[in-house]
Amino acid sequence: MKIEGEYTFDGPREDLWELVRDPEVLATCLPGTQSVQKMSDNEYAGEIKVRIGPISGTFSGQLFVTNEVPPVSCTLTVEGKGKVGFLKGIGNIDMIDQGEGKTLMKYTGEVQIGGKVASVGQRLFDTVSKGMTRQGLDKLNEILQTRRTKN
Amino acid sequence: MTKKFIGKRIVRNEDPQLLTGQAQFVDDVEIPGMLHAAFLRSDYAHARLLSIDVSKACQRPGVVAVFTAEDMGDDWQPGPPLVSPPPTAKDVIFNSRRQVPLVKDKIRHTGEAIAVVIAESRYIAEDAVDDILVELEPLEAVVDLERGLEAGSPLVHDDLESNLAAHLLQKKGDYETARQKADLVIKRRIVIGRGAAAAMENRGIVANWDAKSQHLTIWDTTQAPIPIRNGTAARLGLSEHQVRVIAPFIGGGFGPKMMMFYAEEMVIPWVSKELSRPIKWIEDRRENFYATTQERGQIHDVEIALSSDGYILGLKDVFLHDTGAYDPYGLTIPLNTQCHAMGGYDIKNFTTEVSVVFTNKTLVTPVRGAGRPQGIFIIERLLDIASRELGIDRIEIRKRNFIPPDAFPYEHKIIDQAFAPLILDSGNYLPVMEKALEMIGYEEFVKEEQPRLRSEGKYVGIGIAPFIESTGVGPYEGARVTVEASGKISVATGIGTQGQGHFTAFAQIVAEQVGVAVKDVRIVTGDTTEFHWGTGTFASRGAVVAGNAIHAASSIVRKKILELASKVLETPIDELELDDGLVRVADIPHKSISLGELALLANPLRGAVEPGTEPGLEATAYFGPNYGATAFGTHAMILEVDPETMMIKIKRYVTVEDCGTVLNPLILEGQIHGGVSMGIGNAYYEQLHFDENGQLLNASFADYLIPSATEMPRMEVGHIETRSSLNELGTKGVGEAGTIPVPALFAQAIENALYDHELEILEMPLSPNRLFEFLNEEKSR
Repeated sequence: MKIEGEYTFDGPREDLWELVRDPEVLATCLPGTQSVQKMSDNEYAGEIKVRIGPISGTFSGQLFVTNEVPPVSCTLTVEGKGKVGFLKGIGNIDMIDQGEGKTLMKYTGEVQIGGKVASVGQRLFDTVSKGMTRQGLDKLNEILQTRRTKN
Repeated sequence: MTKKFIGKRIVRNEDPQLLTGQAQFVDDVEIPGMLHAAFLRSDYAHARLLSIDVSKACQRPGVVAVFTAEDMGDDWQPGPPLVSPPPTAKDVIFNSRRQVPLVKDKIRHTGEAIAVVIAESRYIAEDAVDDILVELEPLEAVVDLERGLEAGSPLVHDDLESNLAAHLLQKKGDYETARQKADLVIKRRIVIGRGAAAAMENRGIVANWDAKSQHLTIWDTTQAPIPIRNGTAARLGLSEHQVRVIAPFIGGGFGPKMMMFYAEEMVIPWVSKELSRPIKWIEDRRENFYATTQERGQIHDVEIALSSDGYILGLKDVFLHDTGAYDPYGLTIPLNTQCHAMGGYDIKNFTTEVSVVFTNKTLVTPVRGAGRPQGIFIIERLLDIASRELGIDRIEIRKRNFIPPDAFPYEHKIIDQAFAPLILDSGNYLPVMEKALEMIGYEEFVKEEQPRLRSEGKYVGIGIAPFIESTGVGPYEGARVTVEASGKISVATGIGTQGQGHFTAFAQIVAEQVGVAVKDVRIVTGDTTEFHWGTGTFASRGAVVAGNAIHAASSIVRKKILELASKVLETPIDELELDDGLVRVADIPHKSISLGELALLANPLRGAVEPGTEPGLEATAYFGPNYGATAFGTHAMILEVDPETMMIKIKRYVTVEDCGTVLNPLILEGQIHGGVSMGIGNAYYEQLHFDENGQLLNASFADYLIPSATEMPRMEVGHIETRSSLNELGTKGVGEAGTIPVPALFAQAIENALYDHELEILEMPLSPNRLFEFLNEEKSR
């Protein structure tokens, strides 16, 4: 399944980059995230609770950051599995400076799911993943602005 | 001779028990000390199994044991090859690869069993399944049939050079020469998707090894208890008489419950013997979508050669058949497709070539229709296209090509699923089609009603689809019929029952011979202790093969009754009559003796029995036909398509069946209703969707749609009887008939309804969404 979209942040690219690379921020942003630990500069491990229609369960897995060009782009690879199945995703993030303190984030990715999430939750997976992405990005934007006001 | 019971609309003996919830199903079996099993199944379609750690699962309170393939040691053996390749076919390629009890090295489809947990309750067992740690290396999956055969494709079975499971070419006449003489050659690609049987009752097994009596009892939702008993005894190193398999009431078989030796059928009895405890496993619906066999996936490249006046000169079909991860059922389905692609038509030149492909999907074995709906879909579609291209009426083109009634028995010179030459034993197709046309009011509809409805802006179409069905194949079945001291009759046969009305239809056959009421005949099916010779209930063969065995045994018992009564009543046999449980002297009705009294006299407690005689009024007999009897029929329907939503509404549905002698019209109609419902699912609702990784995406009834009461039309069932000459009762099977022509019928009726579109339906199943896509594609052309 393909995931694609864009989002305009109310903050400069450098600040946004800093947030994206902060595991605690990520944990706050992704709905259902139970924990995120930084294993190395480019590897995080964590647990996320997901509910897709009749299916709900915890996925534990890793997030890898590669092809990093700060503060412009990077590739994210996610691998998770749990009692309700597995998930594997790879995505690219591009951040484009829009001037006037605004940043456009473009993301494209491909997600593969299996097990119960696929066989029973497939019909709702698209909607749920889009919803989660939106919520996450909104939250990220909120944090970005809060930090800017504080500073 | 007029029949008293056969052919009568008698309500079913089994219904009071079934309808009041008193019938025993496998899940009703409760044994003290019984443990419950849950299977760990693969989330991946194709993966190498690197390691399994069950230690955490074993520690969970209430867990008794956890088994993996390693734990089975030498008892770990793949299932038996159920159907070998046809020995008479030339140059057949067949790579036999059978399902395994538990995965040892490589996972080949999602839902394949990796380990089994045995616990005090199913709840605990399921929780413990989640405690098992499995390390897998995911592999690229083989999903698409054509890509699966390309060089460089990943392999389902690493020891084979390709994913080719089998290859078979059959020829009748000379298609290439026929093609050169043709005025019209039509070439098309036809694609049939995969569906589930979706029986109301999922599979289930209870196995109970009693160490003290050294005896194993298995309750199994199988259509074929005797092969399961014999195979289980062989697997466990037991005598066949140490194993009793009971197939109690079953909520629908439809093929997938045949003698598969599913993983669970291999594992559960083995575990019971290991632990000396009764073990129960009941499949849940999601497991059923992964672990119970499915059918129908095929891709056909077909061509038909015709003369300008619509006569078929030849037919050529090159097709791929999806067998899933293993092929225990051999070539049964593709052989049926090959044998039905000619329909009931006089086709002199036929070339058919199948390549069977291994894929990383659930196993494929027969599902009601078993390759036949695909064959009928092909020939009926081609005739519809030919009718349009040649400007010949669709009814007329079929009439011109039907095998004429004086040509039977008609030999097709290819081999069928039973490896016998394909011979259509009897047939008279035109009256059946004409009756269907008359019942649905074809002429009037086409000339008056349809133009009127079209002028009102309605999209209403009519379809007519004739078909044939090979039924009642061998090898044999048997039965034992006994007159008991009560005067009632007890009958045992080896086949299992999944709702076909055996307890009534078989009782009618017996009652006819021995002159008792139908309710006084007690039938036992599917219990190997009661009868241990036979094959099973499949291929529309119960009423034909077991029915005729029961008839044969009853005839012998009738003879025994009359011989004994003749002595007792001191009257010649030809002056006796059997009725109401009595043998009477025809002219002196008060001079009689009851069957019960005769049964006692035949089994005396004192005195001498004449040498060379047998005690009791009992007989065992067998029936095996040389080849199967071919039934036939025509379905007709009128449907309306909503041009906005593409939802369809069936306005009329007519079936006319000819399955030879009818045993019970009530049961026959029930079979037709059920079959048509399944056919409607196959045509417009039921399709399993797999993604490119072999993940099944609609494994629930929320996403996999089966027709419900609202999708079912009121059916009008007509009947014509052309007796089969292959058996004494003159019966042919009908269990699958309702399903077979429905996709072909739907395609024709939908095209006819959407008359202002250039629509050509070449795939099944359809759905409202798919039809919408077709019309959009047409618009963009």
